[in-house]
Amino acid sequence: MHASLGFGLGLRPPHYAAILAEAPAVDWFEVITENYLVGGGRPLHFLDAIRERYPVVMHGVSLSIGALEPLDLDYLEGVRGLARRCEPAWISDHLCWTGTDGTNLHDLLPLPYTEEALGHLVPRIAQVQDFLGRPLVLENVSSYVSYASSAMTEWEFLTALARRSGCRLLLDVNNVYVSSRNHGFDARDFLDGVPVESVQQFHLAGHLDLGSHVIDTHDAPVRAEVWDLYAHALRRFGPVSTLLERDDHIPPLAELVAELELAREIARRTRSEAA
Amino acid sequence: MRLAELERTFQAHVLGDGEPAPALLDAVRAPARERLGIYAEAYRLRLIEALATQYPGLAARLGRAGFAALAQAFVRATPSRHRSIRDYGAGLADFIACAAPDAEVQLQAELARFEWALAAAFDAAPGQPATIASLATVAASEWPALRFRAVPALRRLATTTNAVAAWRAARATEAEEPAAAAPRAERGARIEWLVLRPALDTQFRSLPADEARALDRLLDGASFGELCGTLAAELGDEGAAALAAAGWLKGWIGEGALERV
Repeated sequence: MHASLGFGLGLRPPHYAAILAEAPAVDWFEVITENYLVGGGRPLHFLDAIRERYPVVMHGVSLSIGALEPLDLDYLEGVRGLARRCEPAWISDHLCWTGTDGTNLHDLLPLPYTEEALGHLVPRIAQVQDFLGRPLVLENVSSYVSYASSAMTEWEFLTALARRSGCRLLLDVNNVYVSSRNHGFDARDFLDGVPVESVQQFHLAGHLDLGSHVIDTHDAPVRAEVWDLYAHALRRFGPVSTLLERDDHIPPLAELVAELELAREIARRTRSEAA
Repeated sequence: MRLAELERTFQAHVLGDGEPAPALLDAVRAPARERLGIYAEAYRLRLIEALATQYPGLAARLGRAGFAALAQAFVRATPSRHRSIRDYGAGLADFIACAAPDAEVQLQAELARFEWALAAAFDAAPGQPATIASLATVAASEWPALRFRAVPALRRLATTTNAVAAWRAARATEAEEPAAAAPRAERGARIEWLVLRPALDTQFRSLPADEARALDRLLDGASFGELCGTLAAELGDEGAAALAAAGWLKGWIGEGALERV
């Protein structure tokens, strides 16, 4: 297991200049892989400059590990090349499908929790891990639908997947909360059901509560329910690398650095409770 | 339902944006219709937003509702085949041009083509631009055989409307700054453009027609000597042709537009 990187932020273009000018108290940055699979220009210039000062992790959105068609080797070649360039601590993507038969819906779509899906995923994960020469880290997605064919819970599915494929898990604590509300399970049962040794990283983000269901927006501060769940996760999994994500309505860097301080504070409190 | 059928039926629903197929409604737990609708709506909004990011000038010119209507029609007609969402929308200019060929539609299509060229230059590979210093070492006898190609960021295009002036005006309004003086085309007059990204910022300038023709010849594979020959035939003056070609070449090299072949 990789040592904890501490508390990081998702790297977003509006913050490039401020990061270099202000050297904020951020332990590491997570970069969206696809944004840097380009020839050159501003994205790679700033990635190189920021990488000189901070550890980075690569986080992809279009591997589509659950899709039907064979894995896209050109894409994986691009990922491998970018990894050579920025030497990420690890490489993650999502446990989902993003489209099929050559179409990309640019969304993180849920899979059924079945033996058939496990049988489809395990060899594909092995292929990615062989290609990249390192374990793949997979994130649980927020979902609005669940399938009649699912024969196990999401956490049983993640556990089986991690044990059979050797992949590691990125637990998005907000996504666990969103899915728990949308499907009526206890978010703590989810966290308590995932093997401690498989968890590589946490994500924290905001959502929109519509009462009857919850939409994962990643466009607002983390809500109190998710902070509580994060504290629960820290008690179970220990000081796992934590990443605050904001994908839309991106505020000034200082605001996110301040929000990250809340995560640090919760981690400090949880540690002193345990001591 | 098996995985393959589930993904295909689900995808058809998102793309089709109609009533879910009965088999899909059976495969998804209640409330299936409402929850599936979240994915279908998010798909359209996400791609419309991606287009607005890629085409800010066009979005400003059309206004919120106008751009949303155009983008929605394009999204319906054009599922994404791209790994990265920033590559979505290449065909928007042609899609616009298919509509009634009035002057405003033509301007919008040219505006879209122009913005796509800027976006493509933005993160293109740097390439290996030839420099004045590297050409200074080339012996005079070798000059006629020199050949060049475009650096990866270079884009050439032409407009016959005030699309670029409209782009500047739309961008300036957005930034709440006065629009920079923009050359305005006579109605139907063709203006040639060169887009480059010499360092980190995308740049563009208009090209006089003779310079544009000469650059295109070079980019089509003509050697420097062949370019001088064609020019000499057109001008009826070998010395003037060589002088003009050398001047232009020096300018293009200075801008970082060309790589040696």
